[in-house]
Formats: sequence, structure tokens, C-alpha cells
Amino acid sequence: MRTILLLVAVVAACGGGLEPEPICARTLVGLCGTVRFRGTIPDSTDNVFIATYVTFPQTCTDLINNRRPVIPGSVPYTDSAAAYSVPLSPGTYEWVVAVWKKVGNLTLSPADTALLRVAGYYRSPSDSTQRGIVTVPIGAAAGDIDLVVDFDSLRPATDFVSCTAQ
Amino acid sequence: MHRAIAALLFVVAPLPAAAQGLVRGTVRDKDGAPIRDASVAIPGTTLSTRADIKGMYRITDVPPGRVRLHAAAIGYGPVDTAVALTGGDSTTVDFILLLAPLALPPVDVVSDRVPHFGDRPATSVAQVTERDLGRRAVNTVDEAIDHVPGLQMVNGQTNVRGSTGYVQGLNSRVLMTVDGIPMNQGDRGGINWDLLALDEIESVEILKGAGSSLYGSAAFGGVINVTTRDVPQGLHSRVRLTGGVYADPPHPIWRFRDSPGTLGGADVSASYGTDAFGGRISVGDRHSDGYRQQDQDDHLHFGGRARWQHMNTRVDFSGAWAADRYDVPLSWCNRGECDDRGQVFQPFKIDTIERGARTDSRKGFVSVRVRTTISPRFAWTATASWLRTHFVDLRRSASEFGVGDRFGAAGQIEAHPDSTRTVIVGAEATFSAVTSDIFGTHSQSEFAAYGQSEQRVGALRVSGGARLDFLAVDGGSLTAVVSPRVAATFNGMWRASVGRGFRSPTMAERFVHTTALGFDVVPNPTLRPETAWSFEIGHTSAPLLRFLRFDAAMFWTEARDLIEPQVLQIPPDTVKIQLQNVVRARIAGVDASVIAAPIPDRLIVTLGYTYLATRRRLAGDSAEGPLAFRPRHLLTLGTDYTLGPIGVGADFRFASRPARIELEGFVDPRRVPVKVLDLRAAWKPRGGPVEVRLLAANVLNYIYNLVPETLAPVRTVTMTAVWTH
Repeated sequence: MRTILLLVAVVAACGGGLEPEPICARTLVGLCGTVRFRGTIPDSTDNVFIATYVTFPQTCTDLINNRRPVIPGSVPYTDSAAAYSVPLSPGTYEWVVAVWKKVGNLTLSPADTALLRVAGYYRSPSDSTQRGIVTVPIGAAAGDIDLVVDFDSLRPATDFVSCTAQ
Repeated sequence: MHRAIAALLFVVAPLPAAAQGLVRGTVRDKDGAPIRDASVAIPGTTLSTRADIKGMYRITDVPPGRVRLHAAAIGYGPVDTAVALTGGDSTTVDFILLLAPLALPPVDVVSDRVPHFGDRPATSVAQVTERDLGRRAVNTVDEAIDHVPGLQMVNGQTNVRGSTGYVQGLNSRVLMTVDGIPMNQGDRGGINWDLLALDEIESVEILKGAGSSLYGSAAFGGVINVTTRDVPQGLHSRVRLTGGVYADPPHPIWRFRDSPGTLGGADVSASYGTDAFGGRISVGDRHSDGYRQQDQDDHLHFGGRARWQHMNTRVDFSGAWAADRYDVPLSWCNRGECDDRGQVFQPFKIDTIERGARTDSRKGFVSVRVRTTISPRFAWTATASWLRTHFVDLRRSASEFGVGDRFGAAGQIEAHPDSTRTVIVGAEATFSAVTSDIFGTHSQSEFAAYGQSEQRVGALRVSGGARLDFLAVDGGSLTAVVSPRVAATFNGMWRASVGRGFRSPTMAERFVHTTALGFDVVPNPTLRPETAWSFEIGHTSAPLLRFLRFDAAMFWTEARDLIEPQVLQIPPDTVKIQLQNVVRARIAGVDASVIAAPIPDRLIVTLGYTYLATRRRLAGDSAEGPLAFRPRHLLTLGTDYTLGPIGVGADFRFASRPARIELEGFVDPRRVPVKVLDLRAAWKPRGGPVEVRLLAANVLNYIYNLVPETLAPVRTVTMTAVWTH
């Protein structure tokens, strides 16, 4: 009898509790995923945000002007991981990058690169040495676009683009 | 008139000393082991006592003639016997009680404010015994009584048969008494569950239904009476150590810390007693990391009790003091409100703008109780108490503080004109005061007188009484409330009662001025008392089919002027919240419980079920709906198996999803049914000084909430070791 009662209790207790909401909301058109953080957070940190580019930027001007969204929302960086989502237009994006920003005001000009560092980027699932290309479908979101941010290895924009023309 | 005065004098007058006798003896089980705390009484009189740690008892001032003695203990079948006593004689009567897991509780104190030995109460009463408290390995009383059929703890507030719901911590529709002395807070009317250490508590009785005819305000939905341990003779000590760990959230996305949270505590008590006096002191400390972000809790308490007996008078002093520093477990993160920037629902984390918020709380009480047994027919009791609560909420946005005092004094006369009749009359005075930056500086006075008579006619026992309460706020005009009650039991199996309950608004409800949910909460000094008529009919069968005990009750409450928060839309775009007497409600339902002992002395299975149907209608509005925070179905299922020193058990609680919550539209409406499974194990060698208990609470790590945006506890595994000397 005890076994039966216990079984009833266990069965009844399975499921039905509060569950996480999907990181990618059903209404989201864009991309979403998880950012995992490593390293020591610099004291001068202002925030971390996710930016995307339809084509890989070639210059600092591209880096600022071609960013989508233009003014990205920040991602919480104090915990070991954070979920994020970015509303975007459908299409293919060649670079999804996590950007670290130090304290200071942005001007939406190439001079902003002095305040910004590349903290990590989405890598190809088949070859993690290469950046991954993401396609945002029409009316839906691309999920599991996970990135790693390494605060001990923040890289200047000049490691990726040419800024000599500035 | 002259006859009445003469009769009263006859009742009051003490019997001549020479005519009084003494009955003494022991209470033991079939193996000869003493049964501590077994009650021995002469029913229909003021005379009763309890067996000491050696099972010995003594009743003095016994009148000559043929005397009926009743002995009973929790978990044992009662024994009645008769003894002939001549004046000044001394007689020894030894009792042997046999194990009877289906036996009803031996004493009922809460239902009539006088102890009843072997008589069933006319209103539903649930008892949580010392054994129940021990086997659950919990830290506070509220955790232990959460399994009582018809009762649900909702974020620290007690919901007896749907009476309270959840009222934002500003009141309680259930009165808590400690050894019969009211202990609800002076300012908010709430209950301090952690003021008494668990080791101080012998049992808890829960009166389900209106108890205002004897207890006044706050007993609107029921009364919880905590009986503390008496001080035994000799030198005794007790050490209780607890340690445990909280489980991680079941989904990795909800993880909010890198290592599991822990909890632990220690309680030590020591006592010494003789025939004439006794005293006990206790001290305890507890720490918890909490199961969610910003949920740390540190608790320290001291307690003390003393008794002094001289001739027919007994004086009891009690006191406790507790200090807490706990993080304010703020409501969970919603989409777009927290650090997660709308990424995902996160019930384990809080909004970062309020990180660091905490509460410093101090509370304490002292009480004294004097009882004089003038004769077997007459006794009087007087009590005085002082309860103080002090809190400081430290937040980034604003800090708040409050100091509440409740002073109480009461007197009660208990008379037994003959063996079939009991009469009690009493008077109470309470003065409450608050000084706070959210409640202001205010006071409330309450004066009351009550009386009740009980008559036994064959198998029928009928009681009737009433209480008159006068309330005054800030020295203003008096408001009078009358609370009558009639009750009857037949053959100890059937019971019925009808009574009126009321609850005076607390000063917090009248004068609160703060911010909640981003809106101003404005005071309402014109709040009136809530009132209700409650009806109950119940039946107890024991034993049934030789191994079952069945109890069921139907209850019905019609309430008026219930106080609920209302949203005030003030043009053009201001929204405020105010508490108002706006709700007329009906709470009806069925409460049933079954206890089965299919393998005597080894296996016990309990089942409790409550069905609640509530209806709520706002004043001036014909629309109806259910009351907030009242689940329609409450189910508790428990089993215990004992084999020698080893015991294992399980408890399952189910509460259906409440159909309605308050302020819906302004808070996160997410809520789910409650489905919590607890597993436990114990090792207790017979006669040994040490026992060890293991509890895995919410073992399936079911994630749920009882009130909006507030997560209920996750899986918690604790081990408790108790050493008794």
C-alpha cells in the first residue's frame, strides 16, 4: 500500500511546475543564445553588447556604421552566463560579435573604437577557428547562437579591421 | 437571587483541607516504560496533572467519595477507572496504557479555553504532536503544521480552510496563542513563527473555524495554540544540531551561484526542576544561504521559562527574544525589468537595483500566568503579556522601520457546579501601539468580556457563549462587536457549531503609507472590522474496520466587509492602492481526513483532503468570482513505517492552482499547482539519548510559487541530530 501511495505521489508530482521561458521568444525575429563569460572583469567596464554585420566589416567606419542594431542593448556580464536576444531583419549575417565597452560616451563615429574591444564572436559549429555565419529566417529567430566572452583577452578593432584611414 | 448567591458561594468556597485526599501513581506502557506527559484528570473538575519524566503523577485536593480518573497520552488508548476515597486519604492508582495509533488526542484545550480530557471538541481541531514535530525535522512551527488537513501556509501566513488567503503580510485572520496567551503582532497582526524554538514546543492545536466567541479579534478563521514544554523535575539538557543543503535550480539557465547553498543551526537548552519550582533556558543560532538570490538569513534566539508552585497556586513565567538579519527575498526578475534585459524569465534572481536590501528584525515577549485551583469546582487564571516587534527594512530606494508593542492582560474563572456542567467567564484588555515611518504613530485598545456554559446531558454535550469586544483607535470612540457561538457534540462522534467571528483591522492596514508595485499605498483610517458567521457539522469514526479513523466536516462561512487592496484610478493618470472593506464572501467546503494503521505499531498512512468553494462579490458590483489565493483542492498524503530504531516516511502535498490572485494585471500572474513530495528517515534507539533524522523536502525539486513573483522553497536536504539528557 505504501509503495502504491508513493508511486501515486511521484507520478502526480512530475511536471507542471514553473518552467524557463524560451530564450527566443516566439515573437522574436532575430537571433538569440547564451553568452558565457571568462576572465576578470576590468574595473573600467561599462557594458557588453552583441552586434551583428551583414558583411564582415573592412574598416573602422564599417564597424560603426554597418552595425545592427545601431544601438544594441547590453548583456548582463556579472554572472558566468547570460541569455540574450537581438531583434534583426531576416537575412544572412557574416559576423556576430560580443563587444566590450569601457566607461565613456559613444559618438557613433569611428572614434568610438577607442572605447570598444572585441570580446568574442560566434564561431562556426564545424570549425571553431572560423567565424560563424547566421541566417535569420523570415518571421522567426535563429537560436543557439552562443558566444564566449573572455575578459582577459579583449582585442582592439584593429586586430580585425583596418583603421588607418581614420 | 439569594439562592443564586448561595450557589455561587458554594461553588467558590474551598473544601475543608481535612476533607481532601490525594491520588498518585504512575503511567506506563505495557513494557513498563514511563509515559512522559501523559495526562491524568478527574473529568468534570478543575483537577488534572501530567506525568513526569518517570511517569509519576500526583493529584491533590481530591474530594472524598467515588472519583473517576482518566489517563491518556498521545498515541495510546485512554483508560478510565474509578476509585473510592475517604476524606484525607491517599490512594495509589497505576495506569498501563496500550499503544493505539488511531486514538484521538488526549486533551483538547483550544476549543473551549479549558482542558477537556477525553471529550471531543464541538469544532474541528487538529493536533500536531511533539512526535510529529520531531519526525519532520523542521526548524519552525509553520513548516510542521503545513501538512495539517485544511491548512496551508502561504508565504508565512496561515490559511485555515480558506480564511486568510494572502494579505501582503499586513494582517492575519488566524490568532496565534502560546499557552493560551495571544501573540499576534501589535502593529501588523501577523505571527512570528520563529520566536519560539522548536524544542520549546510540546504540541500545536489548530482550531478550524471562527473562534471569536472566546478569543476575539483575529480568531476570525481559526486559532493556533502552541503548548510549550513544561519544566520537568531534575536536571535535563538537550542539544539539537541541524545541517543541510539547498539544491541547485533544475534548469541550468536558472543557476545563480557557483556552489550549492547551505543551512545549519544549533539549539541548546537546559532545565532544572523540583516539586515547587523549575526553570529552563535555551539558546539557538541558525544560518541559511537561502535557495534564491539574496535570501540569506541569520537567526539568533534566547528563551526561558520558569514555574513556581505553592499550595494550590501555580505561576508560570515565559519569555523569548529573537534577532534576525535576513536579506529581503525580493520578487523575481520579469521580462524587461532586471539585469537580464528581458532575455528570459528568471525566478531565482532579483532585480539588481534592489540588491543588498535586507531586514533587521528584533522581537521578544514576556508573559506570566497565574492559576489558582480554589477547589475541585472552581479555579481562576490571570495572565499578562508584552510582545514587542521591531524591524528595519534597508533598501537602496528607501528604508523603513516599525516598532510594535502589544500589552495584554486577562482573567478567567472556571467553574464546575457539578460534574456535568462547566462555566467560564473572562475579561481581557489589550493595548497595541506602533511607531513607524510607514504606519505612523498610533494606538489601539481592545476591551472584552466573555462567558460560556457547557452542559452534558447523557451522550449530548451542548455549549453556548458570547463575547463582547470594544475597540478604540487612537483613543477615539468605541466600536462594539458581539460574537456569539453555540456548539454541540453527540456521543463524541457528531459535532456541530455555529458562531460569529470578527477581525479588527490592524494598525498597519489602517495607516500604511508606502510604495508597492511602483504605486503609492495610501492609508484608510475608516476601515471597519470584518465579520463572518461560520457553521460546521462534522463526524468522527474511530475505529472503522479496526484499522481506520475517519473524520469529515462540512463548513460554511458568510463573511462581510472583508478587507482587500483596491486600485484607485485618480484622473488624469494617477494610480494608488488602498485597503478597503469591499468584499462580501462565501467560503464553503468539505474537510476530510483518514488515518490508517494496517500494520499496528509499524505502518501509519494519513490522508487529508479539503475542497474549497469560495465566492466573492465587491460592494456595489454584481460581478462574482472566487476569493484570491484560495486553492479549490488541498490534499495531503503521508506514510510512516517503523521497524525497531529505524523509521522512514513520506509526505505529499497538493494544492490546486488558485483561480484568482489579488491585483491581477499589476503583478506577474504566473502560478502553478503545488505538488511537493518530502521523504524522511530517522534512527532512534529505544531509550537512547541520541536520535538522528534526515529530511529531503521537495525531493523532486518542483518549482512553484504561492504568491506572485515569490519562489517557494526548492529541494532541501537536512540532517538533524538531537541529544537528550
